[in-house]
Amino acid sequence: MLAEAHLQRITARINGVEVTRTVAARLTLVELLREDLGLTGTKVSCELQVCGVCTVLVDGSPVSSCTYLAIDADGRDVQTVEGLADGEQLHPLQTAFVESMALQCGFCTPGFLMMSKALLDRVPDPSPEQIAKHLDGNICRCTGYEPIIRAVGCAARRLRGEADHE
Amino acid sequence: MSDPSAREDVIGQSVIRRDLLEKVTGAAEYTVDITMPGALHAKIVRSDRAHARILDIDAREALTLPGVVSVITSDDLRGLYPRFGHIIADHCILAIDKVRYYGEPVALVLAETVHEAADAAELVRVTYEDLAAVLDADQALAPGAPLVHEQRYASSDDDSFRLLTGGKGKVATEAAAELSNVAHQVTLEWGDADAALREADIVVESEVHFPMLYAYAMEPYNAVASYSADGLTVISTAQHPYMVRDDLARIFDLPLSRVRVRAPYLGGGYGSKSYTKVEPLAAVGSWVARRPVKLVLDVEESIYTTRADPADVKITSGFTKDGRILVRVIDMVMDSGAYADNSPLVLAKALNRSFGPYRVPTLRATGRSLYTNTAPASSYRGFGAPQGALAGETNLDQAADRLGITSADIRRLNLVDRDEEILPGKRGLDADIKADLEMVLASLNRDAKDVAGYGVGFACTASDAGAYPVSTAQVRVQTDGSVTVLSGSTEMGQGSRSALAQIASHELGIDMSRVQVVQSDTAITPYERTTGASRTTTLVGLALQRACEDARKRVREMAAEIMACDGDEVTDVPGGVSTPGQAFLSYGDVIKAWFGAAAGEVTGVGLVRREGVTEKMPPFWEIGMVGVAVQVDSDTGVVTVDQLVTVADVGFAINPQAVEAQDLGAATQGLGMALYEELVYDGAQLANANVVDYRVPRATDVPAKLDLMIAQRRDGVGPYGAKGAGEGTLNPVGAAVAAAVARATGKWPDRLPLTPERVWTLISDSGSAKE
Amino acid sequence: MTLPDFALARPDTLEEALALLGDDQVPYCGGTELLLAMKVGLQRPETLVDVKRVPELRGVRSSHGELVIGGASTHDDLSRDALVREVLPLLAEVEAHVGNARVRVQGSIGGNLCFAEPKSDVATTLIALDASVTLQSSSGRRTLLVRDFIVGPYYADKEPGELLIDVRIPLVATRRGAYVKFQVTERPTVGVAVVQDTETGACRVVVGAVGEIPVWRDWASVADIDVEELSSAVDPVEDLTGSERYKRHLTAVFVRRALRDLERSS
Repeated sequence: MLAEAHLQRITARINGVEVTRTVAARLTLVELLREDLGLTGTKVSCELQVCGVCTVLVDGSPVSSCTYLAIDADGRDVQTVEGLADGEQLHPLQTAFVESMALQCGFCTPGFLMMSKALLDRVPDPSPEQIAKHLDGNICRCTGYEPIIRAVGCAARRLRGEADHE
Repeated sequence: MSDPSAREDVIGQSVIRRDLLEKVTGAAEYTVDITMPGALHAKIVRSDRAHARILDIDAREALTLPGVVSVITSDDLRGLYPRFGHIIADHCILAIDKVRYYGEPVALVLAETVHEAADAAELVRVTYEDLAAVLDADQALAPGAPLVHEQRYASSDDDSFRLLTGGKGKVATEAAAELSNVAHQVTLEWGDADAALREADIVVESEVHFPMLYAYAMEPYNAVASYSADGLTVISTAQHPYMVRDDLARIFDLPLSRVRVRAPYLGGGYGSKSYTKVEPLAAVGSWVARRPVKLVLDVEESIYTTRADPADVKITSGFTKDGRILVRVIDMVMDSGAYADNSPLVLAKALNRSFGPYRVPTLRATGRSLYTNTAPASSYRGFGAPQGALAGETNLDQAADRLGITSADIRRLNLVDRDEEILPGKRGLDADIKADLEMVLASLNRDAKDVAGYGVGFACTASDAGAYPVSTAQVRVQTDGSVTVLSGSTEMGQGSRSALAQIASHELGIDMSRVQVVQSDTAITPYERTTGASRTTTLVGLALQRACEDARKRVREMAAEIMACDGDEVTDVPGGVSTPGQAFLSYGDVIKAWFGAAAGEVTGVGLVRREGVTEKMPPFWEIGMVGVAVQVDSDTGVVTVDQLVTVADVGFAINPQAVEAQDLGAATQGLGMALYEELVYDGAQLANANVVDYRVPRATDVPAKLDLMIAQRRDGVGPYGAKGAGEGTLNPVGAAVAAAVARATGKWPDRLPLTPERVWTLISDSGSAKE
Repeated sequence: MTLPDFALARPDTLEEALALLGDDQVPYCGGTELLLAMKVGLQRPETLVDVKRVPELRGVRSSHGELVIGGASTHDDLSRDALVREVLPLLAEVEAHVGNARVRVQGSIGGNLCFAEPKSDVATTLIALDASVTLQSSSGRRTLLVRDFIVGPYYADKEPGELLIDVRIPLVATRRGAYVKFQVTERPTVGVAVVQDTETGACRVVVGAVGEIPVWRDWASVADIDVEELSSAVDPVEDLTGSERYKRHLTAVFVRRALRDLERSS
């Protein structure tokens, strides 16, 4: 039987790199990412799972890394905004967000990108209504959302290999 | 090269904003991402009551925890100036003797880690003796009310604050004569209002309540500070680093040159990061510990740091029987919380914006900003205009109903013409607001539906924008002809960095990819008074044009010297100069030849003050012109926005896509305050100091139809005829939604937000939608 | 907003998990309720016992006329589970609209019930479906109906040493149902579940979110449903989303909307 512990050793694959750390039970995944690993692309805002700013993918599913224990990432695959581009090649979501001006201050953007990736991984051809519903748990105070919904639709088309028709 | 036709390929184009590329990869640096070597982490111990005398602060247990370095109280600040405030220096860094609101900082814990600081903060025991509190405007004004402040404080003697308030008519702006909870009062008056009301054919009275709001910039307030024998360095989420520098220099009695304030990318601002917030706390922490200190607030703490002013507004307007405004009388009361911050100016601006962009021959507008035992209020996008517009515009609509004319016609009749004064003695209107109105009406009518529960509303505002015109800019032309632009303005999402690069690119005739804009570092970038009031494109843009002109002039002089010709034989061409002997010399050729090495640079300086085109206040008027169509569910009271129609009257859109983006964002915040957002106090404490219960617009709230129009008439004082954008479109939204709901339900609401229950009550009860 | 200090145990078996549980040693699964409560200082357990590895709490199966849902199944799992979609599409649909997409990925059905959050869509639906929960401790196992399990706001009938193993829903081929909710903020203001046995015509209406616990009524047929009686039977909690009067009104509106949806369902 495992002894209960305040500190545990974990190994996680973070943006494709295997990372082993001894972490406190109270450490959240976002604290591990930002403070220990220096992956500051993931931001924090509401800390109550409602704003979506801290969204990262764990084994491909979106989670609020502010309310996700770092220990729970043990043995799992974590993807953050820093792991979205393929080297210098931006992910189609990133390109579409820039082109559609789907961001301004950019603080919510890493969360929107990861949340959108989770959608497109599951639903390659979402309707604007599906996109809006999926992103309803992410807050943006700058854009008014319509450019974001448009950008996700545009990225979906490009990922399916379709030409732009805007 | 100021002829815009010369390089239309750069200005006026929806270029890709380069900052967005940094932001989508996670590489963009925000204050919260920055730490300093050896930094301690700070956690604030906050008051858990509204108004109480501090009897004792016991930090002994907290200090026994591992990693805890220090627990600082106001007693530790002896030798410093312990308060801040750019208008009234009333704001305690750490509470002195008493606390004035729930959430006020009482002590600052410094520890090696965030967790250690948080754990220790819980162990600091504060003993209080409760005092009677005033928790809202009515309580603050009641006879014999307890005083939030028993003393007066130093007020700014900077005349520019007075110049930002009313017109040439009778203006009084002052602190109250005797000690009371009135922090500030303003009167704006011309003509004899009582006489005019007696002469009016009809008089329409109304009263509205505008809610207490939180801007919710998603990056909470945070700062990292380092105090050393050499001076103070603070990196923070400050919109106005130069204003923060002034407060910090006073606290530590340091020369301005030895206080460095830097603001990297801001995760939203919307006015809420104007002026000094958490910087003094981080700085005194570092001063005590002699190590860098990082302080990051959470959202609840941020809400208790700065909210926006709610307002109770009474308005009485007199009209001729054909609908002309004769007189407007306005009385406004704002609950500004425990410290003044920028509320005196918000109040003055709210009054300026309360009677609308109309011909108002007689006016009496009075306002009071009150101290209460609640969180301090300050600037929020629109700056008093949404408060004023809700009162003024819905009053005008109700007058139209009484007069039997349409809401469009009463505006057509009363809107001012181009160049006509709204505030006596101030700049005349630099816009064709009547044409803007027709654009909105045409769009709304095109898609109007004739179904039950459907209503259309619109509203107009004109804001005296641009703030006080003190701006400076520098351009540094390098030996390879690339350019560094330096500006003290802040990039908080609005896109100034990209717009300034477009201007420099155009003015110097070089590709935008060769322009780098560096902003908001008081040690490096030249002075900028503020980043607010939609000023950057106009005022920094002007300063930058002048800096480019100065750089070109220097290059021409150098070229003349090299070529041994007369100065007037050298002329500007894109990317360099043309000289008599040699057709073209690039900037780099000239610089290298003049210095006699592959080295050197040329710096151009541009200055803007109240002179020439920016002599008259305000620097420009920012128009707000918005229409909405709503569908009301009579069973639930839910209001769904079907159409949102906006006009950005920006003179010239340097980046049209960015203008539309700012407008949609501003309008969406307007819809938030119209339909969802309101901070609610339940006793001493807010009932919804979090984003779970403070409901902001969501992705599924986007209106079915968006029509974001841009009016470009090149009538601004900024570059190429540009005027500012970003606030205007928010300002009338609340009034427009209220009007649409009134048209849908047949009853006039008297407060925002129009939550489902309020609208249902409005529909189901006789009388108005009072609580 | 940091988590307070605590210890974490990660047992692999049910026996280990049960041995670890105690007054200050609480089950931990998705953390969507518990970690938030700890962040804001409402709970300070010494130890979190992570039950995600316990095999008995995982998976969905059909057994002896019941759908058996492991307590650690997440809302997202259930919204997409082929068996649930086939035999209980109503539950799958409700689960697809709980919270936001991240809450659905992290939050479990067992945790949701044990927290007895008054605004739970899941509890309201499960009561309508006559579901029960299986609780086990070191000293034994018991089963009780969800409607009896939810005793009060944030209060479920569960001893500190007990663990919610699974949720069991009787499978009735002739049953149809509908769930509608009115939601402005993060949680519903009112949620109404209606389930009818099309053979007998009998139906149950459950009104959740309005009061401290869901209110349910059984009727012999849809025609017998007394909407006014229901809206006066609920005991609304006044909050920022509405007064008592408004919530009673909404109750009537959404019971009618649920019945309308029921008629449209197959």
